[in-house]
Amino acid sequence: MDFLNPAFWTFVAVVAGIYAILSLGLYVQFSLAGLPNFGHVAFMAVAAYTMAILVVRYAVPMPLAAGAGIVGAVLLALILGIPTLRLRADYLAIATVAGGEIIRYLAMNLPDLTGGPIGSIGLLGPGQIAMYNGDWLAFLDRIGANLSTLVGVRVSRDAVAAILVWLLAGLLVLVLWRCERSPWGRVLKGIREDEAAVTAVGKNVFAFKLQALMLGAVLAAVAGLLLAWQIGVFSPEDYQPTLTFYAYLILILGGMNRLLAIPVGAIAFSLLYSGTRLLNFFPLSLIDSGSRAFLRLFLVGFLLVLLMAVRPQGMLGNRRELLLER
Amino acid sequence: MTVLLEVERLSRSFGGVAALDGATFAVEERSITALIGPNGAGKTTAFNVISGFLKPDAGTIRFAGERIEGLRGDQVARAGLVRAFQAPRVLTRMSVLDNMLLAGKDQPGERLSLNWLAPARVARRELEVHRRALDILERVRLLPLAEAYAGTLSGGQRKLLELGRALMVEPRMILLDEPMAGVAPVLAEQLLEHIRRLREERGVTFFVIEHDMDVVMSISDRVIVMDEGRVIAEGTPDTIQRDERVIEAYLGRLAPASAGQGASP
Repeated sequence: MDFLNPAFWTFVAVVAGIYAILSLGLYVQFSLAGLPNFGHVAFMAVAAYTMAILVVRYAVPMPLAAGAGIVGAVLLALILGIPTLRLRADYLAIATVAGGEIIRYLAMNLPDLTGGPIGSIGLLGPGQIAMYNGDWLAFLDRIGANLSTLVGVRVSRDAVAAILVWLLAGLLVLVLWRCERSPWGRVLKGIREDEAAVTAVGKNVFAFKLQALMLGAVLAAVAGLLLAWQIGVFSPEDYQPTLTFYAYLILILGGMNRLLAIPVGAIAFSLLYSGTRLLNFFPLSLIDSGSRAFLRLFLVGFLLVLLMAVRPQGMLGNRRELLLER
Repeated sequence: MTVLLEVERLSRSFGGVAALDGATFAVEERSITALIGPNGAGKTTAFNVISGFLKPDAGTIRFAGERIEGLRGDQVARAGLVRAFQAPRVLTRMSVLDNMLLAGKDQPGERLSLNWLAPARVARRELEVHRRALDILERVRLLPLAEAYAGTLSGGQRKLLELGRALMVEPRMILLDEPMAGVAPVLAEQLLEHIRRLREERGVTFFVIEHDMDVVMSISDRVIVMDEGRVIAEGTPDTIQRDERVIEAYLGRLAPASAGQGASP
């Protein structure tokens, strides 16, 4: 691999776009409504598993299966939210951490339903390889063929995916931009600042929080579907809590309460995370690849700490807002 | 005079300690009624229960003839009974104007779907709410600070903002918990003036917990005195000032307590 391999960077671009959509979900929940969701990854997992199971086992058409996946994620949001959202924020935090892990362990330990530890490949049982993203790849190829004739250059499958994912991310940013500036968004921000004050002026705080949690779950589900389609296989190990914290990193990197900072944060994170993969030149080439991978994570962490020390408000954040804690 | 708020035998205890022990009182419409009593008398608990922030263990609360003791805080506020807090709770990382706009009542834009399905209706209401907010901000003299973060306001300005925000809900009655505490004298004077004028011009009823006796005597039409979770006296400021039970509650008993009154359970 080298720095100039376009295929590598195209793939990074797709994943960055998916991370951006994932982080938009967290933005609605955490930045707008102040809901500490530490199990965001569970919404991705539920959506991906629901979709894959329906496609592989029941031959449900892709769009319908995707819709079912999103509904599944919303149901999980209701299960996690209804008992906890009336309580202090800490309870939601605990419930989501546990919820995320429960989903992962269920996926691992219900092989008949989920394929078990080997993941989506095992959905048809041992001896058979299950694939669920044929429709998605065909869809990309169709667009790719049209696009290629249009621009006169061959457009790769990943390039089409990158374009689609980023178009969707851009569209979602616009939609959320409008939601944030609506009276609805205003109430959510108020809840983030002080629930009691918002209750005192006659707003049903619980209902607003539940809506925010559900909307965030939908966005995470979309990201989960796209990632599953793009990678082609997944297993319970792909839904480690780390993924949730990547989304938080993106939020923090870009600037906590800035919607436009999310795509920027997603790109920065992906450059940082994938770019360090390429640090295989001298003198680093003297170290074996295992140690290099370790060094790389260390470097990512170090750069993040450095950024927080120099720019605690993130790249696009507002420092003044940071100083106005209650 | 009609009764706007009627509280009967309200009780609420916390782990065996009865903060409210059968409190009964009434607040008349368009009055400024003060609620006083020594520390721990149950005044703030009474406010929390009336405003729906706490559930009572027993007793009834009627507001404008309707029972409200089972309602949530937001429902009580929408019914026209709005509270302010002892330590003002402004939304610090939002602008003063946004603090006001948020509180506007009946906003269709609070429903996510209507922002997309009926944008004209949302925009129309937003304009009305905006006008009202600017109007009230001007009255409470916070208009020059409309774009400032609420977190940059002083304690007194926060109390004014909280009062203004309560007015956005178009209340019939406002509960103020120690409005003068920690407020600079000039602003305190302003705040009193606002309360009087709002009662005159809009007919808003005020129910106020206050420790400063000069304030209580100058502003209120009626005074309700609580001690140990019960109402021990009720009347005009003049009669209350001379009431022996009140003096006793504040200064402690000089002679052995007379039978019945104020005895702890």
